This record gives sequence, structure tokens and C-alpha cells, in this order.
Amino acid sequence: MNRNPTAFLKEEYDELVKNDFDWKLRILETGSTPHSVVDGKEVIMLCSNNYLNLSNHPRLVQGAIDAAKKYGAGSGSVRAIAGTLDIHMEVERRLAKFKRTESSLIYQTGFAANAGLIPQLVGKGDVIISDELNHGSIIDWVRLTKADRAVFKHKDMGELEKVLIDADKKYNKILIITDGVFSMDGDIAPMDNIVELANEYGAMTYADDAHGEGVIGPDGRGIGAHFGIEGKIDVEMGTFSKAFGVVGGLIAGSQDLVNYAYNKSRTWLLSGSHPPAVAGAQIAAIDVLETEPEHVRNLWDNTKYFKKELESMGFDTGNSDTPITPVIVGESSKAKELSNRLYAEGVFALPIVFPMVARDKARIRTMMNAGLTKEDLNVALEKFEKLGKKLVII
Amino acid sequence: MVSKIGLIVNPIAGMGGKVGLKGTDGVVEKAIKLGAKPIASQKTVEMLKEFLTNDSKNDDLQWFTSKGDMGGRELKNAGIKEIEIIYEPSGKNTTYEDTKKACKKFLELDIDLLVFCGGDGTARDIFEIVDKKIPILGIPSGVKMHSAVFGINVSATAKMLHEFTEGTLTIGDADIMDLDEDRYRRGEWNIRLFGVAKGIVEPTYIQVGKTCFESVSDDVIKDELTEHIVDEIEQNNNFLYLFGSGGTIDYIATKMNIKNTLLGIDAVHKKKLIGKDLNEEKILKLLKKYPTVKVILSPIGAQGFILGRGNLQLSPAVIKKIGVDNIIVISTPSKLMHTPVIRVDTGDKKLDQMFAEMEFMIVVIGYRLSRVVKIQTNNF
Repeated sequence: MNRNPTAFLKEEYDELVKNDFDWKLRILETGSTPHSVVDGKEVIMLCSNNYLNLSNHPRLVQGAIDAAKKYGAGSGSVRAIAGTLDIHMEVERRLAKFKRTESSLIYQTGFAANAGLIPQLVGKGDVIISDELNHGSIIDWVRLTKADRAVFKHKDMGELEKVLIDADKKYNKILIITDGVFSMDGDIAPMDNIVELANEYGAMTYADDAHGEGVIGPDGRGIGAHFGIEGKIDVEMGTFSKAFGVVGGLIAGSQDLVNYAYNKSRTWLLSGSHPPAVAGAQIAAIDVLETEPEHVRNLWDNTKYFKKELESMGFDTGNSDTPITPVIVGESSKAKELSNRLYAEGVFALPIVFPMVARDKARIRTMMNAGLTKEDLNVALEKFEKLGKKLVII
Repeated sequence: MVSKIGLIVNPIAGMGGKVGLKGTDGVVEKAIKLGAKPIASQKTVEMLKEFLTNDSKNDDLQWFTSKGDMGGRELKNAGIKEIEIIYEPSGKNTTYEDTKKACKKFLELDIDLLVFCGGDGTARDIFEIVDKKIPILGIPSGVKMHSAVFGINVSATAKMLHEFTEGTLTIGDADIMDLDEDRYRRGEWNIRLFGVAKGIVEPTYIQVGKTCFESVSDDVIKDELTEHIVDEIEQNNNFLYLFGSGGTIDYIATKMNIKNTLLGIDAVHKKKLIGKDLNEEKILKLLKKYPTVKVILSPIGAQGFILGRGNLQLSPAVIKKIGVDNIIVISTPSKLMHTPVIRVDTGDKKLDQMFAEMEFMIVVIGYRLSRVVKIQTNNF
């Protein structure tokens, strides 16, 4: 057959561009810092996940340098063959201690953790019960398992219990899976209630705490610590890529979980291990969290101030309980316009539009940074107020 | 790109309701004597005006309608000047025959959408002519509005029309309901499924990139539901399956090469049709022969009934024999958006109470994918 085998690449990309769905990559000429230079313009950063401003922390940078000097640039192999350095084991030991769980395992990324583990926990004859607002990196792997899937209304424990009652009769294994902190609205899953229900019906629990790790709970120890149920969530999945300021996915839980996970997760088994510099920075990040509580404190002080001021101006900030503060503006076009104008005024915050969120709930999603000063926040707030009035949002 | 829109107004729609009649067809004079006033015209103008405030692409739209109070006057009153009159009623007082004649003209014009103002009766009259050839959208103005082609109110209808012309809403199945006149003559009030038209629906979105979603048509979802049902039947090889009525189940049966009935109840065993358009007696007979039975139902009409509308063959005696645990409810997510509760009205108080006590049903919404939906019964 006479065909152009790669014609679809351009055709589909052009379609994305036409519908304004393509990613227009913004280039940072600085590191990810509270004041960054984005596409040549200095901006106040309100959309990075570098919540604690650790990515440039001197101890993390030094940790990376020291590890690179000692072990070299690469690890040489996948973990399972010859790529497990003692520094990798040290990260996992330190992380389990930090999370107050029996054990932990580091994956290449958070996405790889979900991809590698979720499909191994359940199969045919089992069911995954999932919050309707779970993040895409959960949804994809839930879809690819052979288990049945049941969705419950966002954080609705009544519905969850109803699904559990039904599942209890029909399935072998039951896995309840939820975001810890929901990335669009910044609210927190009622993990204590979920664990309680799971125990009642013999279900496993899996919390993707990518946005909660380093942010919520005492010392930023995540969702388990936030609810005082450390070690009781079967899988606490998180990331070093956001508040910890480095890169990498993680799971924390029992030794049985970790033994099972690294023998079964293909993403873990078939990817090269982290470069030593990454592991060195990861250990340093844990050190910083354990010894410098001011970062978490600053993050929350900033969050509370920013949220309170936005609300007093008349902005709708939704139901957020965390440093993710949505500024809900209504129509998608308005959210895009506000984002563009904010950038022009030196504030970098991206819009989230339909169908990511409901048609009338398009928003600017702001993510706080512990390194921003009160003066920085006042500048950003002033721009929000000025543009909010101009666009008749407030 | 939507460019051609037809409009039909049933001028007498809804007049019976205000004066306590169960419809307006054939009783318009009685309704007027009782003090009823026309409401359809005003509602149509309101909807059109609201649509115009939303619609930035109005210049691209071509409007087609009938003369006078069947649409022409309303379009003009709303400020739309470019109108093509495609039908002129012969008498002063228009009837359902005029609606049908106008619909025949719309078919010739190959319009993209037919907007009408009326109730279930008007929807049925239009559907009888346009079938699935033109999608329809109703401005709610009737006494009965059980069909799934209406906006919730005038404002919602304007918004739906706007989003359809913008391409954010798509076309999907919509049940047309009407009064079961045989039963009505016997003194029973029952709404039945009359047919499945094309209406406007919210597409289902699937995340394909980080923030990029693809809208998925109802047919893709129904293909998934078909796979689910095929798996279900293969896993329970000895079960008898009763296929309920409606467009979703009809689609599944057709995909399985089962020559079912759209409006009736059919019996399937080992993926083969063994009974077609069964009445209660025939179903009970089959239940004696097959000890293990499941019934597949999908919400019918705008209110989300799974039992009690359009499937009275599934009588209380039948349901009790099958067992409520053996009911499989399936639905496209877009249909569930319109019917956030599942309604049951079996006519048997004890059975309705059983459903009420269940509080919820697990509804299959995709391949191996389900969600919880609340049950509402008429008596509880």
C-alpha cells in the first residue's frame, strides 16, 4: 500500500496547535527559583512545584556534588543488576525513617512508581476503587490493569462505603486509590476515614501524595503524618520531584510491600537507577526537612497570607487546604487571558481550563513557594487585584 | 460546523398544565375556557434572546422556520432578521399535522439541528417524521417533559444551543417518551418509551496528555459497554439475559448480532436471541425454565427510570423472581449527567421499598468501569 507512515505526526500536531492544546514550552534561564527568568522575562514564580524552594538549597547542591565526585555521573545499570549503590540504599533507609514506615523504595519518577506498582497489586477478579478526581498518572495505570474499576464521588465516604459493600461480595482483592492532595483544587483526601473503611472491608489503600510530600503533616512528612496514621496506609506513594526539590518517585510502607514492589514493578526493574548526584541531593533534602523546619513554616505562612488576601479582594479560591490555591474565574477564555496578562505584569501562573475542570470553573492555579517574601506576595496580589477588576472577576 | 438551524413552536404547548390537564392535545378549547394562556411563544423568544447574547458566531447561522406563531414571529421578536420561511400553516389554529408537515420540509433542507418549543407530544410528532435524521433540542414548555431532548429550563436550552453551535456539545441518543394511550384509556397513567431520537449531549472526555483531553463519542462508550456485556455473558454461560429497552441496549444487541427490539424486552441465552418482544407472561414462563437470570437495563427518558417507564413487562412478579441483585444497569456517562439518580417505580410498594433500602445502584459506565448512583423510588 502506498502510504506515508509518519504523516500522522505532523497532522496530529497541527490539530493540537489549531485547537490550542499544544504545550508551548516556557524556557527558564534561571533555576526554579522564587524569581525566575521565563522566556527572557523576570517573573514571580507561582506555578512551580518547588514548594519549599529546596531545588537551589546549598545543602542539596552540595549533596549532589559530593555524590557525583565520589560515585561518578551515572550508576551504570538498573537497580536489579549492578546499579544499586550504597547511596541508593541510604536514601531508602533515611526515607523510611522520615516517613515512619517499615521500609521504602525509590522509583525513577512518581509516574514510574504508579506505572510499575498499580498494575501489580490487582488483576482479574479484583477491583480498584478510585476517587473521581484522581490525577492522570493514577488513572492511566488503573485503566491498564485487568481489574474492574469503580469510581466514587470526590471524597464522598458514603459513596465509597457503598462501593465497598458491593465489592466485598464480588471481588477477591480490593484496592482503594486516591490522591493525597488533589492537584487541581488543593484539597486533601480524608485518608483517616478511608483507612478505617478499608480496614472494615478488607481493602488495600494507596495514596498518591505527590503534592503532599514535604508539604502537609508535621515537618512535611506527608499524608500519613497529617492524619497521624503513619504506617497504616498500605502504599504511601510520593515524589522527590516537587517539595523535595530533586527528582524521583517513592513508595513507603511495609517491608512486604517493598519486597513485592521491586520484584514485580517493571518500570523499576527495567530503568537505570538514579545518578549518584540525584541520590546525594535526595538525602540532603531529607536532612534539610529534618533540621530546618522554617521551610515548611514559611510555605504555610505564605499560603495563609496569600489565600486570605485573595479572598478579601473577592476572589473565589475554592476549597483548598494546601499551598495549591486556585483562583476561580469562570470561563476558560477569561482564565487564559488573566494568565497572559499576569505574565505580562511579571507574575507566572498558568490557567487550568475545561475539560480539566468544569466549564464554569476555569482558574489560575497558583502554587506557593516558601522562598517568596511578603513583598513578593504583595506585588503578585496587587497584580491579581488590578487585573481581576479589569476583567470583571472581582 | 453548524450552520442551518430549524425552529418549530407549538403555540398551544403547555397550556393544559396550568389548568390541571395532563396535556394540551385535543383539549385546547377546554384549556382556554379554564383560563389557560399561551406560553410557548414567550419562552421561545426568551431562549432566542439569551442565545443571541451568548453567541458570537450568529452571523454564520441560517434560520429556517414556519410562518406566524410556529416560529417566524418568535425569531423576529428576538431580533433575528435573516429568516427563511419554509412552511405556511393553512388555518389560523395550527395542529400537530402542521408540525409534521413543517418537519418534512426540514428534512428536505438537510438542517443541522431542529429546535422546538413544546412538550413530549411535540417531541413525538417531530420524531415521527425526522426520526434520527436530524438532532432535536426542546425548549421545555409542555405539560409532560419526560423525553431526554429538553434543556432543563429556557436558560439551559440557550446555553446548550450555544455550545452545540460552538462545537463543544455533540450529538447522541435521546429517548422520546409519551403517554401510553392504551393504558390511559383504561384509567392508568403511564409514560412509555416511544423511540430513540438524536439529541444534544455532553461528550465524554478522556485525558490523553497532561492537560489535553479527547472528547469521545457516545458510540465509542457504547462499544466499551458492549465489550463489558459480552464478557459478562461469556463468564456466566448458563445465565439467561433479559435485554431491556432503549437506545444503549439496542446498540449493544445490534453489535452482538442479536435481532432485538428497541422498545421491548428480549431474552438472550449463550449470546443467541431466544425470545423477542416478550410480555410479562412469556417472561415468567422463561424464568421457570432458566433458574439463573440477569436483566440488563439502562435509564430511560430524562428522569432516569430503569423500571416503571417503558418496560412494564418487567413487572413486580418478574423482578422479584429475578432478584434485585441480578439487575445490571448500564449507561453512558453523558446520560448519567442528565439523570444523576436512578428512578424506580414498579407499582409494587414492597418492591419499591426494597429498592429504596438499597439506596444506590452500581451503574456500569464503561468497560469494567462503574460508579455509584443513588436510587429514588416514587413511594419512598
